[in-house]
Amino acid sequence: MHLAAGGVGAALVGRQGVARAASGKISVYSALNESTNNAFVEAFKKSVPGINVELLPLAAAGELQTRIRTEKDSPKGDVFIGGSSEFHSPLGTEGLLLPYKSPSAANVGPIYKDPDGMWTGWYLGIFGFALNTDRFAKELKDLKKPVSWDDLLNAAWKGHLTLPDPVKTGGGYIYIATQIFRFAAEAMAASPGAEQYAIAEDKAMDYMKKLHANIGQYTGTAPQAIQLVGQGQFIGAPNWSHDILTAKSQGQTIDNLNPQPTGFEVGAVSIIQGGPNPDGAKAFVDWVLTKEAGALNVKLSNRLSVLKDVAPAPGAPTLDSVQLVPYDRVWATNNKARILKKWQAAIS
Amino acid sequence: MRKTLREPALVLTLMVVIGLLGFFVIYPQLRVVLVPGLAGYVEFFREQTWVKPLLHSLQITVLSTTTAVTLGFVYAYAMVYSDMPWKRFFRLVGILPLLSPPFVVAASYILLFGPRGVISYRLLGQSPNVLGLGGLWGVQTIAFFPFAYQLIADVLSRSDPSLEQAARNLGAGAWGVFRTVTLPLSRPGLAAATLMTAIYVMEDFGNPALIGGQFTVLPTQAYGLISGFGDLAGAAAVSTMLTVLALLLYIGRMRLEGNRSYVTIAGRASAMPRPPVPRQVTWACFSVCLLLSLVLLLVFGVLLVSALVQAFPANFAFTLRHFDYVSARALSLRNTLIYGGTAAIICGLFTVLLGYLVQRREWAGRRIVDVVALLPAAIPGIFFGIGYASAFNQRWLDWLDRGALITISMIFWNIPIGYQAAIVGLQQIDRSIDEAAISLGASSLRSFRDILFPMLHSALLVGIVTTFVRAVTTLSVVIFLFTPGTTVATITIFQLINDFNWGGATAFTVAVIGMAVAVLVIIWVISGRWATVQNMTSS
Repeated sequence: MHLAAGGVGAALVGRQGVARAASGKISVYSALNESTNNAFVEAFKKSVPGINVELLPLAAAGELQTRIRTEKDSPKGDVFIGGSSEFHSPLGTEGLLLPYKSPSAANVGPIYKDPDGMWTGWYLGIFGFALNTDRFAKELKDLKKPVSWDDLLNAAWKGHLTLPDPVKTGGGYIYIATQIFRFAAEAMAASPGAEQYAIAEDKAMDYMKKLHANIGQYTGTAPQAIQLVGQGQFIGAPNWSHDILTAKSQGQTIDNLNPQPTGFEVGAVSIIQGGPNPDGAKAFVDWVLTKEAGALNVKLSNRLSVLKDVAPAPGAPTLDSVQLVPYDRVWATNNKARILKKWQAAIS
Repeated sequence: MRKTLREPALVLTLMVVIGLLGFFVIYPQLRVVLVPGLAGYVEFFREQTWVKPLLHSLQITVLSTTTAVTLGFVYAYAMVYSDMPWKRFFRLVGILPLLSPPFVVAASYILLFGPRGVISYRLLGQSPNVLGLGGLWGVQTIAFFPFAYQLIADVLSRSDPSLEQAARNLGAGAWGVFRTVTLPLSRPGLAAATLMTAIYVMEDFGNPALIGGQFTVLPTQAYGLISGFGDLAGAAAVSTMLTVLALLLYIGRMRLEGNRSYVTIAGRASAMPRPPVPRQVTWACFSVCLLLSLVLLLVFGVLLVSALVQAFPANFAFTLRHFDYVSARALSLRNTLIYGGTAAIICGLFTVLLGYLVQRREWAGRRIVDVVALLPAAIPGIFFGIGYASAFNQRWLDWLDRGALITISMIFWNIPIGYQAAIVGLQQIDRSIDEAAISLGASSLRSFRDILFPMLHSALLVGIVTTFVRAVTTLSVVIFLFTPGTTVATITIFQLINDFNWGGATAFTVAVIGMAVAVLVIIWVISGRWATVQNMTSS
């Protein structure tokens, strides 16, 4: 009971303009991993005393996005953290985010943040491949480990792959978009021109259709695909490298591979418009963009920091070790519904 | 109608009940249904992406409902009629499938019966593709038979043994009695069970999402539209479609039930025992129940083992470390118990009262209320949650405690099953019983409280038990409502699963199921005592 009342109190204070200095309590909607959340918040509280954090953890950015939409008449959250920028930018377009250009964002490269300050990127996730080493060694021993996404089309993989459902998960869609940008880059190198996107799109659909023949299951969440590979139900799954490494550290017999060139996500943080404590939210965003927070997140979640001076986690792929596709985030977001419908038609 | 109006207390009760249904069932759903607007609906239906999921939904509904109701009937018959051993144990098994927190139990099925499952592959050397129509059919049959079992068992237990004895004395054999007396008299129960099971299968999201593979049904399509396309409008259109299908089923049920009387309790309690069930039938019943129990014990056993070893299935070294997560997140477990328990009691009482008002009193619009009381079953949990979040997350309602709102959502989401049990129960009790009380001067509400309510004790129990179990295991309704202080156990499980912490997730699941089973046992002990006392005082 006191929680709801506290939220109202904070809202009133905010509106009367009494609490100008960052203090009080902030409510953080977090799509980060459960194992990251607590240590991360503790570090913030130590570093910025005076601001208390109430964490609403939900490791599903799509649900948090929907939640922020449904709460728009009386927003309860201050900060939306985690999940790739694709989940943040539509909220910005709908006017549900408070634009904020943090002074610390100066160190963040322009391709990792929104020009209007709706969201700021603070970590990177690289798309990799989870491989069940036991089963691969026993059942597919004549096969080379995949070094490019095309290697997954080999008929030996038939029924042994699982992929996060592109319609239901951000990762699955990024996988399709990665293929489009991969083919587009190839075509552009041959002859530059805007029409190359359309050609690349058809090639990517053709690729996804062929891949479909090898896929035993599309999963409803991205982590589920890694779990199935960990259990040995399937041998491989395209998925987030950092999550694969986290699962491996939990004792699963899996390895992270990085077929190239591959796609990546920009993990974002944003401030919710009309939230109870915007000043506290800004202080939190400022801290998230520090080197200290970046390094802690790398340690806790195996992700990469957008800051160049933060060292990567041991064994994790880096921007230098992995070749990335020229991923056009704006194009990918704007064409999402159309591409997904095209994909559904291609595989049915 | 005029008679009703003469009783102010009754009119007031009616208005309050209708007001509550309007505010907590209709209003939040309108917020969802109206999202697309007319143009949105037109566009959605023209695109025809819904055709295939619709056909899939219809197909799986027919298949799973048929098998689940059949299994439920056999189970109910075995529990009520046969004198097989281990009934207390089977009673618990009959509710266990409902005690399935999302993700974990479906994952357990895959661990056992998947392409490299413990049973399918290591034991039988098969690598089946369970992810699809076949696997979904099997899992849903087990997941939804408890609804059918509970409703049918409730009806069978109230049937009058003297009718069966009479048939027996007139020369009918065991099969003849079953075919001409038992089966026809269980028709309201069967109809209610079929209706409820079909609706729950149709709105099921969790199983199709995890076991269904490429077999997309309407609820998984709706979810995909929300999370993949951000298309709340299209998803709302799918939800509306599910509601319409539920209405069609409702009409079908009215046809099925017909206009006959199913009264089996006509005043004098019958002290006569039931005619004995042939031995072979008893043993057949026992075998079916045992087989089902084995499957369920395996499924839940995997969870227990996972909670107690380092890393299932890679490392089987014993450990208790996963249970650290339970003590670290005791708040969510406590909240689940409080919200679920409160919701169960209120929902149980509310639905019995609602059943009485609809089945016994004559007033305009009772058919509409009858439909409204069914609707929450047809609404996928995610839309129920979205409806609540957008309807009640308003500035003028910010004083409302979030825990209370979560409890309210659990109450109204679970109305259908308790309500159906109450309706079916009332159909079996002769009107002359309560009318006698009224003609002797008692008010309607008094006749309900003193005469009918005690007789509906088992229907109340069905409502309470089902609501509790479903409230404890729901994720989708709560996901848009919980706050840091009002988080619940299913949220914790979801978090741990998504963090690849299978050990922690299963340990938490074991704690939730353990707690729920303890509560159920307490409920059954209390209600058993109560029923005994009732019988003693009435005879």
